[in-house]
Amino acid sequence: MRRSRWAWTLGVLLAVLLVATAAGAASLRILHINDFHGFAQPDTPLGTQQEQGGAAYLATRIKELRRERPTLLLAAGDMIQGNNLANLFQGKSMVVLMNALGLDAMVVGNHEFDFGQEVLRERIKEARFPVLGANVEGLPGLKPYVINKVGRLRVAVIGVVTPETATATHPRNVVGLKFEAPEAAVRRCLPRVKPGADLVVVLSHLGYAADRELAAQVPDIDVIVGGHSHTRLTEPVRVGNTIIVQAWEHGKVLGVLDVTVEKGKITRIQGRLEDISPAVGREDPAVARLVAVYSREVDKKLEKVMGQAAVELDGQNVRRQETNLGNLVADIIRQTAGADAALINGGSLRTSIPAGPIRVKEIYNVLPFDNYIAAVRLTGAQLRAALEHGLSGLEEGAGRFPQVSGIAFTFDPGAPPGSRVREVTVGGQPLVPEKEYTVATNDFLVAGGDGYVAFKDALGAEGGYQTTGGMLNSPRLSYNDPGRWLRDVVGEYIQTQGTVAPRVEGRIKALSK
Amino acid sequence: MRVWVNGTEAVLAPGMTVRHALIQVGLLPEVAAGKKVYDAWGNEVGLEGGLQDGAELWVK
Repeated sequence: MRRSRWAWTLGVLLAVLLVATAAGAASLRILHINDFHGFAQPDTPLGTQQEQGGAAYLATRIKELRRERPTLLLAAGDMIQGNNLANLFQGKSMVVLMNALGLDAMVVGNHEFDFGQEVLRERIKEARFPVLGANVEGLPGLKPYVINKVGRLRVAVIGVVTPETATATHPRNVVGLKFEAPEAAVRRCLPRVKPGADLVVVLSHLGYAADRELAAQVPDIDVIVGGHSHTRLTEPVRVGNTIIVQAWEHGKVLGVLDVTVEKGKITRIQGRLEDISPAVGREDPAVARLVAVYSREVDKKLEKVMGQAAVELDGQNVRRQETNLGNLVADIIRQTAGADAALINGGSLRTSIPAGPIRVKEIYNVLPFDNYIAAVRLTGAQLRAALEHGLSGLEEGAGRFPQVSGIAFTFDPGAPPGSRVREVTVGGQPLVPEKEYTVATNDFLVAGGDGYVAFKDALGAEGGYQTTGGMLNSPRLSYNDPGRWLRDVVGEYIQTQGTVAPRVEGRIKALSK
Repeated sequence: MRVWVNGTEAVLAPGMTVRHALIQVGLLPEVAAGKKVYDAWGNEVGLEGGLQDGAELWVK
Protein backbone atom coordinates (compact mmCIF):
# COMPACT_ATOMS: atom_id res chain seq x y z
CA MET A 1 0.00 0.00 0.00
CA ARG A 2 2.81 2.35 1.01
CA ARG A 3 4.74 1.46 -2.15
CA SER A 4 1.79 2.29 -4.40
CA ARG A 5 1.29 5.66 -2.64
CA TRP A 6 4.93 6.53 -3.40
CA ALA A 7 4.51 5.47 -6.99
CA TRP A 8 1.41 7.63 -7.27
CA THR A 9 3.25 10.67 -5.81
CA LEU A 10 6.19 10.17 -8.16
CA GLY A 11 3.82 9.89 -11.09
CA VAL A 12 2.13 13.15 -10.18
CA LEU A 13 5.47 14.92 -9.87
CA LEU A 14 6.60 13.64 -13.26
CA ALA A 15 3.31 14.69 -14.80
CA VAL A 16 3.68 18.20 -13.36
CA LEU A 17 7.22 18.37 -14.73
CA LEU A 18 6.10 17.20 -18.15
CA VAL A 19 3.24 19.70 -18.24
CA ALA A 20 5.62 22.51 -17.26
CA THR A 21 8.06 21.48 -19.97
CA ALA A 22 5.33 21.13 -22.53
CA ALA A 23 4.15 24.63 -21.62
CA GLY A 24 7.42 25.89 -23.07
CA ALA A 25 9.81 26.54 -20.18
CA ALA A 26 13.34 26.07 -21.42
CA SER A 27 16.61 26.79 -19.76
CA LEU A 28 19.98 27.92 -20.96
CA ARG A 29 23.32 28.53 -19.31
CA ILE A 30 25.60 31.33 -20.49
CA LEU A 31 29.22 31.00 -19.41
CA HIS A 32 31.27 34.11 -20.01
CA ILE A 33 34.77 35.51 -19.76
CA ASN A 34 36.22 38.85 -20.86
CA ASP A 35 39.51 40.77 -20.98
CA PHE A 36 41.61 37.62 -20.78
CA HIS A 37 44.69 39.44 -22.17
CA GLY A 38 46.72 36.26 -22.50
CA PHE A 39 46.55 35.20 -18.84
CA ALA A 40 46.56 31.49 -19.59
CA GLN A 41 48.82 30.80 -16.63
CA PRO A 42 47.71 31.54 -13.07
CA ASP A 43 48.77 35.00 -11.93
CA THR A 44 49.20 36.80 -8.63
CA PRO A 45 47.63 40.24 -9.11
CA LEU A 46 49.07 43.39 -7.57
CA GLY A 47 48.09 43.73 -3.94
CA THR A 48 47.26 40.04 -3.46
CA GLN A 49 49.19 36.99 -2.28
CA GLN A 50 47.18 34.32 -4.04
CA GLU A 51 47.45 32.89 -7.51
CA GLN A 52 44.28 33.32 -9.51
CA GLY A 53 43.05 32.16 -12.90
CA GLY A 54 44.68 29.62 -15.18
CA ALA A 55 43.19 28.38 -18.44
CA ALA A 56 43.52 24.70 -17.51
CA TYR A 57 41.45 25.21 -14.35
CA LEU A 58 38.98 27.40 -16.21
CA ALA A 59 38.56 24.64 -18.80
CA THR A 60 37.75 22.03 -16.16
CA ARG A 61 35.03 24.18 -14.65
CA ILE A 62 33.59 25.04 -18.05
CA LYS A 63 33.30 21.33 -18.87
CA GLU A 64 31.59 20.56 -15.57
CA LEU A 65 29.07 23.36 -15.93
CA ARG A 66 28.37 22.48 -19.55
CA ARG A 67 27.32 18.97 -18.58
CA GLU A 68 24.49 20.30 -16.45
CA ARG A 69 22.42 22.06 -19.11
CA PRO A 70 22.48 23.52 -22.63
CA THR A 71 25.25 26.10 -22.60
CA LEU A 72 26.76 28.96 -24.57
CA LEU A 73 30.36 29.98 -23.89
CA LEU A 74 30.99 33.62 -24.77
CA ALA A 75 34.05 35.89 -24.68
CA ALA A 76 33.53 39.64 -24.45
CA GLY A 77 36.75 40.84 -26.06
CA ASP A 78 40.39 41.72 -25.40
CA MET A 79 41.34 38.08 -25.45
CA ILE A 80 44.40 37.88 -27.73
CA GLN A 81 46.66 40.76 -26.65
CA GLY A 82 48.36 41.48 -23.35
CA ASN A 83 51.15 39.44 -21.82
CA ASN A 84 54.04 37.54 -23.41
CA LEU A 85 52.01 34.37 -23.85
CA ALA A 86 49.71 36.32 -26.17
CA ASN A 87 51.92 38.98 -27.71
CA LEU A 88 54.89 36.84 -28.72
CA PHE A 89 52.49 34.90 -30.95
CA GLN A 90 50.48 37.92 -32.06
CA GLY A 91 47.49 36.38 -30.35
CA LYS A 92 47.52 33.03 -32.18
CA SER A 93 48.19 31.15 -28.93
CA MET A 94 45.02 32.60 -27.44
CA VAL A 95 42.87 31.63 -30.42
CA VAL A 96 44.19 28.06 -30.16
CA LEU A 97 43.29 28.12 -26.48
CA MET A 98 39.80 29.48 -27.11
CA ASN A 99 39.27 26.79 -29.74
CA ALA A 100 40.19 24.22 -27.10
CA LEU A 101 37.78 25.76 -24.61
CA GLY A 102 35.02 25.37 -27.20
CA LEU A 103 34.03 29.00 -27.41
CA ASP A 104 30.69 29.67 -29.11
CA ALA A 105 31.29 33.34 -29.96
CA MET A 106 33.58 36.24 -29.22
CA VAL A 107 33.32 39.96 -29.82
CA VAL A 108 36.41 41.91 -30.84
CA GLY A 109 37.79 44.20 -28.16
CA ASN A 110 39.80 47.33 -28.83
CA HIS A 111 43.03 45.41 -28.17
CA GLU A 112 42.21 42.80 -30.80
CA PHE A 113 43.23 45.47 -33.35
CA ASP A 114 46.66 46.07 -31.78
CA PHE A 115 48.56 43.70 -34.08
CA GLY A 116 47.03 45.28 -37.17
CA GLN A 117 44.18 44.26 -39.46
CA GLU A 118 46.09 41.63 -41.41
CA VAL A 119 46.95 39.73 -38.24
CA LEU A 120 43.41 40.10 -36.92
CA ARG A 121 42.02 38.69 -40.16
CA GLU A 122 44.31 35.68 -39.73
CA ARG A 123 43.21 35.20 -36.12
CA ILE A 124 39.56 35.34 -37.22
CA LYS A 125 40.23 32.65 -39.84
CA GLU A 126 41.90 30.43 -37.24
CA ALA A 127 39.01 30.76 -34.81
CA ARG A 128 36.56 27.83 -34.80
CA PHE A 129 33.91 30.21 -33.50
CA PRO A 130 32.34 33.38 -34.93
CA VAL A 131 34.09 36.65 -34.14
CA LEU A 132 31.57 39.46 -33.90
CA GLY A 133 31.60 43.20 -34.45
CA ALA A 134 28.28 44.62 -35.61
CA ASN A 135 29.49 48.21 -35.32
CA VAL A 136 32.75 47.69 -37.20
CA GLU A 137 32.62 48.38 -40.91
CA GLY A 138 35.41 47.32 -43.26
CA LEU A 139 36.95 44.23 -41.66
CA PRO A 140 36.22 41.02 -43.60
CA GLY A 141 35.52 38.03 -41.41
CA LEU A 142 33.74 39.89 -38.65
CA LYS A 143 30.11 38.93 -38.31
CA PRO A 144 27.50 41.30 -36.88
CA TYR A 145 25.65 38.55 -35.07
CA VAL A 146 25.15 34.84 -34.85
CA ILE A 147 22.07 32.80 -33.97
CA ASN A 148 22.76 29.60 -32.02
CA LYS A 149 20.39 26.79 -31.19
CA VAL A 150 21.07 25.99 -27.56
CA GLY A 151 18.89 23.16 -26.30
CA ARG A 152 15.36 24.21 -27.21
CA LEU A 153 16.20 27.89 -27.45
CA ARG A 154 17.41 29.98 -30.33
CA VAL A 155 19.79 32.60 -29.02
CA ALA A 156 20.88 35.62 -31.04
CA VAL A 157 24.25 37.07 -30.09
CA ILE A 158 25.09 40.55 -31.42
CA GLY A 159 28.65 41.82 -30.91
CA VAL A 160 29.65 45.45 -30.34
CA VAL A 161 32.99 47.06 -29.47
CA THR A 162 33.77 50.47 -28.07
CA PRO A 163 33.88 53.09 -30.84
CA GLU A 164 36.82 54.61 -28.96
CA THR A 165 38.88 51.81 -30.49
CA ALA A 166 39.43 54.31 -33.30
CA THR A 167 41.48 56.53 -30.98
CA ALA A 168 42.64 53.97 -28.41
CA THR A 169 44.91 52.06 -30.76
CA HIS A 170 47.50 53.23 -33.29
CA PRO A 171 45.78 54.78 -36.33
CA ARG A 172 47.50 52.32 -38.71
CA ASN A 173 45.54 49.51 -37.03
CA VAL A 174 42.19 50.99 -37.95
CA VAL A 175 42.84 52.49 -41.39
CA GLY A 176 39.71 52.18 -43.50
CA LEU A 177 37.57 50.96 -40.62
CA LYS A 178 34.49 52.71 -39.36
CA PHE A 179 33.26 52.31 -35.80
CA GLU A 180 29.57 53.04 -35.53
CA ALA A 181 27.72 53.97 -32.36
CA PRO A 182 26.84 50.63 -30.70
CA GLU A 183 23.24 51.62 -30.13
CA ALA A 184 22.69 52.21 -33.86
CA ALA A 185 24.32 48.89 -34.77
CA VAL A 186 22.22 46.95 -32.26
CA ARG A 187 19.04 48.67 -33.41
CA ARG A 188 19.89 47.73 -36.99
CA CYS A 189 20.46 44.07 -36.08
CA LEU A 190 17.42 43.62 -33.86
CA PRO A 191 14.72 43.41 -36.58
CA ARG A 192 16.81 40.78 -38.36
CA VAL A 193 17.44 38.54 -35.37
CA LYS A 194 14.45 39.02 -33.12
CA PRO A 195 11.83 37.14 -35.18
CA GLY A 196 13.96 34.00 -35.13
CA ALA A 197 15.30 34.20 -31.61
CA ASP A 198 13.96 33.33 -28.18
CA LEU A 199 16.66 35.39 -26.51
CA VAL A 200 18.74 38.38 -27.64
CA VAL A 201 22.20 38.68 -26.14
CA VAL A 202 24.53 41.59 -26.82
CA LEU A 203 28.16 40.57 -26.42
CA SER A 204 29.69 43.89 -25.58
CA HIS A 205 33.18 45.30 -25.32
CA LEU A 206 31.91 48.74 -24.34
CA GLY A 207 32.48 48.86 -20.59
CA TYR A 208 29.93 48.64 -17.79
CA ALA A 209 28.84 52.29 -17.84
CA ALA A 210 28.20 52.12 -21.59
CA ASP A 211 26.39 48.80 -21.18
CA ARG A 212 24.00 50.46 -18.76
CA GLU A 213 23.39 53.26 -21.26
CA LEU A 214 22.81 50.76 -24.06
CA ALA A 215 20.34 48.81 -21.94
CA ALA A 216 18.45 52.00 -21.12
CA GLN A 217 18.35 53.09 -24.77
CA VAL A 218 17.50 49.77 -26.41
CA PRO A 219 14.92 47.91 -24.34
CA ASP A 220 14.71 44.85 -26.62
CA ILE A 221 18.02 43.42 -25.42
CA ASP A 222 17.53 40.53 -23.00
CA VAL A 223 21.10 40.11 -21.78
CA ILE A 224 24.32 42.11 -22.14
CA VAL A 225 27.48 40.10 -21.57
CA GLY A 226 30.08 42.78 -21.07
CA GLY A 227 33.79 43.49 -20.99
CA HIS A 228 36.34 46.32 -21.39
CA SER A 229 35.94 47.93 -17.95
CA HIS A 230 37.21 44.76 -16.18
CA THR A 231 34.23 45.00 -13.85
CA ARG A 232 33.62 42.33 -11.25
CA LEU A 233 29.84 42.14 -11.34
CA THR A 234 29.26 39.63 -8.58
CA GLU A 235 25.62 39.23 -9.57
CA PRO A 236 23.53 40.16 -12.61
CA VAL A 237 22.32 43.75 -12.74
CA ARG A 238 18.98 44.68 -14.23
CA VAL A 239 18.58 47.93 -16.18
CA GLY A 240 15.03 48.19 -17.50
CA ASN A 241 14.29 44.84 -19.16
CA THR A 242 17.95 43.96 -19.64
CA ILE A 243 20.23 41.79 -17.54
CA ILE A 244 23.90 42.90 -17.51
CA VAL A 245 26.78 40.62 -16.52
CA GLN A 246 30.56 40.96 -16.65
CA ALA A 247 33.30 38.64 -15.37
CA TRP A 248 36.14 40.85 -14.14
CA GLU A 249 39.37 40.01 -16.03
CA HIS A 250 42.18 37.55 -16.88
CA GLY A 251 40.09 34.43 -16.32
CA LYS A 252 40.21 34.99 -12.56
CA VAL A 253 36.50 34.22 -12.51
CA LEU A 254 34.04 32.45 -14.75
CA GLY A 255 30.67 34.12 -15.24
CA VAL A 256 27.67 31.80 -14.98
CA LEU A 257 24.20 32.98 -15.96
CA ASP A 258 21.28 30.54 -15.89
CA VAL A 259 18.23 31.73 -17.77
CA THR A 260 14.79 30.18 -17.99
CA VAL A 261 12.61 31.31 -20.88
CA GLU A 262 8.90 30.66 -21.06
CA LYS A 263 6.54 31.83 -23.80
CA GLY A 264 9.23 34.14 -25.14
CA LYS A 265 9.95 35.79 -21.82
CA ILE A 266 12.68 35.37 -19.26
CA THR A 267 10.96 33.99 -16.19
CA ARG A 268 14.00 33.24 -14.08
CA ILE A 269 17.62 34.27 -13.94
CA GLN A 270 20.39 33.22 -11.63
CA GLY A 271 23.91 34.50 -12.04
CA ARG A 272 27.22 34.31 -10.25
CA LEU A 273 30.95 34.59 -10.68
CA GLU A 274 32.92 31.48 -9.82
CA ASP A 275 36.50 31.98 -8.67
CA ILE A 276 39.09 30.20 -10.76
CA SER A 277 42.40 29.32 -9.14
CA PRO A 278 44.98 26.55 -9.24
CA ALA A 279 44.09 23.39 -7.36
CA VAL A 280 45.66 19.95 -7.42
CA GLY A 281 43.87 17.60 -9.76
CA ARG A 282 41.68 20.30 -11.27
CA GLU A 283 43.70 20.92 -14.45
CA ASP A 284 42.18 20.01 -17.78
CA PRO A 285 44.99 17.88 -19.28
CA ALA A 286 44.52 18.97 -22.89
CA VAL A 287 44.45 22.69 -22.10
CA ALA A 288 47.32 22.31 -19.62
CA ARG A 289 49.39 20.72 -22.41
CA LEU A 290 48.63 23.61 -24.74
CA VAL A 291 49.63 26.18 -22.13
CA ALA A 292 52.84 24.26 -21.43
CA VAL A 293 53.69 24.10 -25.14
CA TYR A 294 53.26 27.84 -25.58
CA SER A 295 55.10 28.59 -22.33
CA ARG A 296 58.10 26.64 -23.62
CA GLU A 297 57.83 28.55 -26.88
CA VAL A 298 57.87 31.82 -24.90
CA ASP A 299 61.11 30.71 -23.22
CA LYS A 300 62.61 29.95 -26.64
CA LYS A 301 61.52 33.29 -28.04
CA LEU A 302 63.06 35.11 -25.08
CA GLU A 303 66.41 33.49 -25.98
CA LYS A 304 66.24 34.74 -29.56
CA VAL A 305 69.15 37.02 -30.49
CA MET A 306 67.79 40.28 -31.91
CA GLY A 307 71.12 41.95 -32.64
CA GLN A 308 74.50 42.87 -31.26
CA ALA A 309 75.63 45.55 -28.85
CA ALA A 310 79.01 46.84 -29.99
CA VAL A 311 79.44 48.41 -26.54
CA GLU A 312 77.95 47.87 -23.11
CA LEU A 313 74.56 49.59 -22.87
CA ASP A 314 74.60 51.46 -19.58
CA GLY A 315 71.45 51.08 -17.52
CA GLN A 316 73.18 51.65 -14.19
CA ASN A 317 73.66 55.42 -14.35
CA VAL A 318 70.36 56.38 -15.95
CA ARG A 319 69.14 58.14 -12.78
CA ARG A 320 72.10 60.53 -12.61
CA GLN A 321 73.46 61.25 -16.08
CA GLU A 322 73.11 60.78 -19.81
CA THR A 323 73.86 57.19 -20.78
CA ASN A 324 74.16 55.45 -24.13
CA LEU A 325 71.22 53.16 -23.28
CA GLY A 326 69.10 56.17 -22.37
CA ASN A 327 70.02 57.76 -25.70
CA LEU A 328 69.24 54.58 -27.63
CA VAL A 329 65.80 54.11 -26.12
CA ALA A 330 64.92 57.82 -26.28
CA ASP A 331 66.01 57.92 -29.94
CA ILE A 332 63.85 54.91 -30.78
CA ILE A 333 60.87 56.52 -29.06
CA ARG A 334 61.35 59.84 -30.86
CA GLN A 335 61.79 58.20 -34.25
CA THR A 336 58.83 55.88 -33.78
CA ALA A 337 56.57 58.75 -32.80
CA GLY A 338 57.97 61.07 -35.48
CA ALA A 339 58.39 63.65 -32.74
CA ASP A 340 60.65 66.68 -32.36
CA ALA A 341 62.02 65.36 -29.10
CA ALA A 342 61.75 62.54 -26.59
CA LEU A 343 61.98 62.52 -22.84
CA ILE A 344 61.76 59.43 -20.65
CA ASN A 345 62.38 58.78 -17.00
CA GLY A 346 65.74 57.10 -16.37
CA GLY A 347 64.01 54.85 -13.87
CA SER A 348 62.12 53.14 -16.69
CA LEU A 349 65.41 51.50 -17.74
CA ARG A 350 66.06 48.81 -15.16
CA THR A 351 69.42 47.28 -16.04
CA SER A 352 72.40 47.27 -18.43
CA ILE A 353 73.06 45.06 -21.44
CA PRO A 354 76.62 43.78 -21.81
CA ALA A 355 78.43 44.12 -25.14
CA GLY A 356 77.68 41.16 -27.37
CA PRO A 357 74.49 39.41 -28.46
CA ILE A 358 71.24 41.07 -27.37
CA ARG A 359 68.54 38.52 -26.70
CA VAL A 360 64.86 39.33 -26.34
CA LYS A 361 65.05 38.61 -22.62
CA GLU A 362 67.79 41.22 -22.14
CA ILE A 363 65.55 43.84 -23.72
CA TYR A 364 62.64 42.69 -21.56
CA ASN A 365 64.83 42.95 -18.45
CA VAL A 366 65.72 46.53 -19.35
CA LEU A 367 62.07 47.40 -20.03
CA PRO A 368 60.00 45.04 -17.88
CA PHE A 369 56.96 47.29 -17.57
CA ASP A 370 54.02 47.24 -19.97
CA ASN A 371 54.73 50.76 -21.19
CA TYR A 372 53.86 52.09 -24.59
CA ILE A 373 54.86 55.12 -26.66
CA ALA A 374 52.83 58.32 -26.75
CA ALA A 375 53.69 61.85 -27.84
CA VAL A 376 52.15 65.10 -26.69
CA ARG A 377 52.41 68.64 -28.04
CA LEU A 378 54.13 70.68 -25.32
CA THR A 379 55.09 74.32 -25.35
CA GLY A 380 58.75 75.13 -24.92
CA ALA A 381 57.93 76.40 -21.43
CA GLN A 382 56.25 73.09 -20.54
CA LEU A 383 59.21 71.12 -21.89
CA ARG A 384 61.61 73.22 -19.85
CA ALA A 385 59.46 72.68 -16.74
CA ALA A 386 59.51 68.94 -17.40
CA LEU A 387 63.31 68.97 -17.56
CA GLU A 388 63.43 70.95 -14.31
CA HIS A 389 61.23 68.37 -12.68
CA GLY A 390 63.41 65.57 -14.00
CA LEU A 391 66.46 67.16 -12.40
CA SER A 392 64.80 67.89 -9.08
CA GLY A 393 65.72 64.56 -7.52
CA LEU A 394 69.41 64.47 -8.37
CA GLU A 395 70.54 64.10 -4.78
CA GLU A 396 68.64 60.86 -4.19
CA GLY A 397 69.20 59.47 -7.69
CA ALA A 398 65.46 59.60 -8.36
CA GLY A 399 64.05 57.65 -11.31
CA ARG A 400 62.63 60.85 -12.80
CA PHE A 401 66.06 61.87 -14.13
CA PRO A 402 65.47 62.52 -17.85
CA GLN A 403 67.00 60.63 -20.73
CA VAL A 404 66.42 62.60 -23.93
CA SER A 405 66.50 62.62 -27.70
CA GLY A 406 66.37 65.63 -29.99
CA ILE A 407 67.08 67.75 -26.92
CA ALA A 408 70.36 68.98 -25.47
CA PHE A 409 70.61 70.91 -22.24
CA THR A 410 72.98 72.07 -19.55
CA PHE A 411 72.18 72.22 -15.89
CA ASP A 412 73.65 73.42 -12.63
CA PRO A 413 73.51 70.55 -10.13
CA GLY A 414 74.33 72.94 -7.28
CA ALA A 415 71.31 75.17 -7.92
CA PRO A 416 68.09 74.58 -5.95
CA PRO A 417 65.61 72.08 -7.41
CA GLY A 418 63.34 73.84 -9.87
CA SER A 419 66.03 76.24 -11.15
CA ARG A 420 68.75 73.94 -12.39
CA VAL A 421 68.15 73.97 -16.14
CA ARG A 422 70.27 76.42 -18.13
CA GLU A 423 70.52 76.25 -21.93
CA VAL A 424 68.12 74.03 -23.83
CA THR A 425 68.07 73.26 -27.53
CA VAL A 426 65.62 71.20 -29.54
CA GLY A 427 66.80 69.98 -32.91
CA GLY A 428 69.91 72.13 -32.43
CA GLN A 429 67.90 75.35 -32.03
CA PRO A 430 67.37 77.26 -28.76
CA LEU A 431 64.15 76.33 -27.02
CA VAL A 432 61.37 78.86 -27.62
CA PRO A 433 59.00 79.04 -24.62
CA GLU A 434 55.91 79.81 -26.70
CA LYS A 435 56.64 77.38 -29.52
CA GLU A 436 54.93 74.00 -29.62
CA TYR A 437 57.04 70.83 -29.84
CA THR A 438 55.93 67.24 -30.20
CA VAL A 439 57.53 65.36 -27.33
CA ALA A 440 57.49 61.58 -27.28
CA THR A 441 57.59 59.63 -24.05
CA ASN A 442 56.06 56.60 -22.38
CA ASP A 443 52.48 56.34 -21.13
CA PHE A 444 53.69 56.36 -17.52
CA LEU A 445 54.90 59.95 -17.84
CA VAL A 446 51.84 61.02 -19.85
CA ALA A 447 49.76 59.80 -16.92
CA GLY A 448 51.81 61.93 -14.55
CA GLY A 449 54.09 59.17 -13.27
CA ASP A 450 57.24 60.13 -11.34
CA GLY A 451 55.56 63.48 -10.70
CA TYR A 452 55.75 64.70 -14.33
CA VAL A 453 52.77 67.01 -14.85
CA ALA A 454 53.70 68.62 -18.19
CA PHE A 455 52.06 65.99 -20.38
CA LYS A 456 48.78 65.73 -18.48
CA ASP A 457 48.65 69.51 -18.10
CA ALA A 458 48.97 69.86 -21.88
CA LEU A 459 46.19 67.29 -22.44
CA GLY A 460 43.98 68.94 -19.84
CA ALA A 461 44.44 72.52 -21.05
CA GLU A 462 41.73 74.32 -22.97
CA GLY A 463 41.31 72.65 -26.35
CA GLY A 464 43.04 69.52 -25.10
CA TYR A 465 39.97 67.42 -25.85
CA GLN A 466 37.50 67.42 -28.71
CA THR A 467 34.49 65.31 -29.40
CA THR A 468 34.33 64.30 -33.05
CA GLY A 469 31.53 62.07 -34.27
CA GLY A 470 30.61 61.22 -30.70
CA MET A 471 34.18 60.19 -29.90
CA LEU A 472 36.56 61.92 -27.55
CA ASN A 473 39.99 62.66 -28.94
CA SER A 474 42.97 64.72 -27.91
CA PRO A 475 44.39 67.04 -30.56
CA ARG A 476 47.47 67.51 -28.36
CA LEU A 477 48.19 63.80 -28.45
CA SER A 478 50.24 63.46 -31.64
CA TYR A 479 51.04 59.75 -31.24
CA ASN A 480 49.45 56.97 -29.22
CA ASP A 481 50.07 53.23 -29.49
CA PRO A 482 48.63 51.53 -26.39
CA GLY A 483 48.74 48.07 -27.91
CA ARG A 484 52.43 47.80 -28.63
CA TRP A 485 54.84 47.60 -25.73
CA LEU A 486 57.91 49.79 -25.84
CA ARG A 487 60.16 46.76 -25.26
CA ASP A 488 58.87 45.17 -28.47
CA VAL A 489 59.45 48.38 -30.42
CA VAL A 490 63.03 48.47 -29.09
CA GLY A 491 63.51 44.81 -30.00
CA GLU A 492 62.30 45.36 -33.55
CA TYR A 493 64.60 48.37 -33.91
CA ILE A 494 67.65 46.40 -32.77
CA GLN A 495 66.72 43.55 -35.10
CA THR A 496 66.49 45.97 -38.00
CA GLN A 497 69.81 47.63 -37.17
CA GLY A 498 71.71 44.39 -36.56
CA THR A 499 74.34 46.11 -34.42
CA VAL A 500 73.83 49.08 -32.13
CA ALA A 501 76.61 51.27 -30.77
CA PRO A 502 75.01 54.24 -29.05
CA ARG A 503 77.27 56.82 -27.45
CA VAL A 504 77.08 59.48 -24.80
CA GLU A 505 76.98 62.60 -26.96
CA GLY A 506 76.79 65.48 -24.54
CA ARG A 507 73.00 65.82 -24.67
CA ILE A 508 72.93 66.36 -20.91
CA LYS A 509 75.79 68.38 -19.45
CA ALA A 510 76.29 69.22 -15.81
CA LEU A 511 77.99 72.58 -15.40
CA SER A 512 80.93 72.37 -13.04
CA LYS A 513 80.59 74.29 -9.78
CA MET B 1 39.37 62.28 -20.86
CA ARG B 2 38.76 63.35 -17.30
CA VAL B 3 37.98 60.86 -14.58
CA TRP B 4 37.76 61.19 -10.82
CA VAL B 5 39.56 59.05 -8.28
CA ASN B 6 38.37 59.50 -4.69
CA GLY B 7 37.06 62.87 -5.86
CA THR B 8 40.37 64.00 -7.40
CA GLU B 9 40.45 64.74 -11.12
CA ALA B 10 42.79 62.79 -13.38
CA VAL B 11 43.42 63.88 -16.98
CA LEU B 12 44.13 60.93 -19.25
CA ALA B 13 44.78 60.19 -22.91
CA PRO B 14 42.38 57.99 -24.90
CA GLY B 15 43.06 54.32 -24.26
CA MET B 16 44.37 54.87 -20.75
CA THR B 17 43.12 52.67 -17.95
CA VAL B 18 42.36 52.54 -14.26
CA ARG B 19 46.08 52.02 -13.61
CA HIS B 20 46.95 55.34 -15.32
CA ALA B 21 44.35 57.19 -13.27
CA LEU B 22 45.80 55.79 -10.06
CA ILE B 23 49.34 56.70 -11.14
CA GLN B 24 48.24 60.28 -11.65
CA VAL B 25 46.60 60.69 -8.27
CA GLY B 26 49.34 58.74 -6.51
CA LEU B 27 47.13 55.89 -5.28
CA LEU B 28 48.73 52.92 -7.06
CA PRO B 29 50.91 52.13 -4.01
CA GLU B 30 47.75 51.79 -1.92
CA VAL B 31 46.46 49.14 -4.29
CA ALA B 32 49.82 47.38 -4.11
CA ALA B 33 49.33 47.41 -0.33
CA GLY B 34 45.98 45.65 -0.64
CA LYS B 35 43.32 48.28 -1.27
CA LYS B 36 40.88 47.72 -4.11
CA VAL B 37 39.40 49.94 -6.79
CA TYR B 38 35.64 50.35 -7.22
CA ASP B 39 33.47 52.07 -9.82
CA ALA B 40 30.62 54.51 -9.22
CA TRP B 41 28.23 51.62 -8.53
CA GLY B 42 30.51 49.95 -5.99
CA ASN B 43 31.77 47.18 -8.29
CA GLU B 44 35.43 46.20 -8.08
CA VAL B 45 37.37 46.95 -11.26
CA GLY B 46 40.72 45.70 -12.53
CA LEU B 47 43.73 47.96 -13.04
CA GLU B 48 43.68 47.51 -16.81
CA GLY B 49 39.99 48.37 -16.99
CA GLY B 50 38.95 50.74 -19.76
CA LEU B 51 37.54 54.09 -18.73
CA GLN B 52 35.13 56.53 -20.23
CA ASP B 53 35.05 60.28 -19.84
CA GLY B 54 33.60 61.29 -16.49
CA ALA B 55 34.14 57.92 -14.79
CA GLU B 56 34.34 57.82 -11.01
CA LEU B 57 36.69 55.49 -9.19
CA TRP B 58 37.11 54.86 -5.52
CA VAL B 59 40.15 53.32 -3.87
CA LYS B 60 39.38 51.81 -0.49
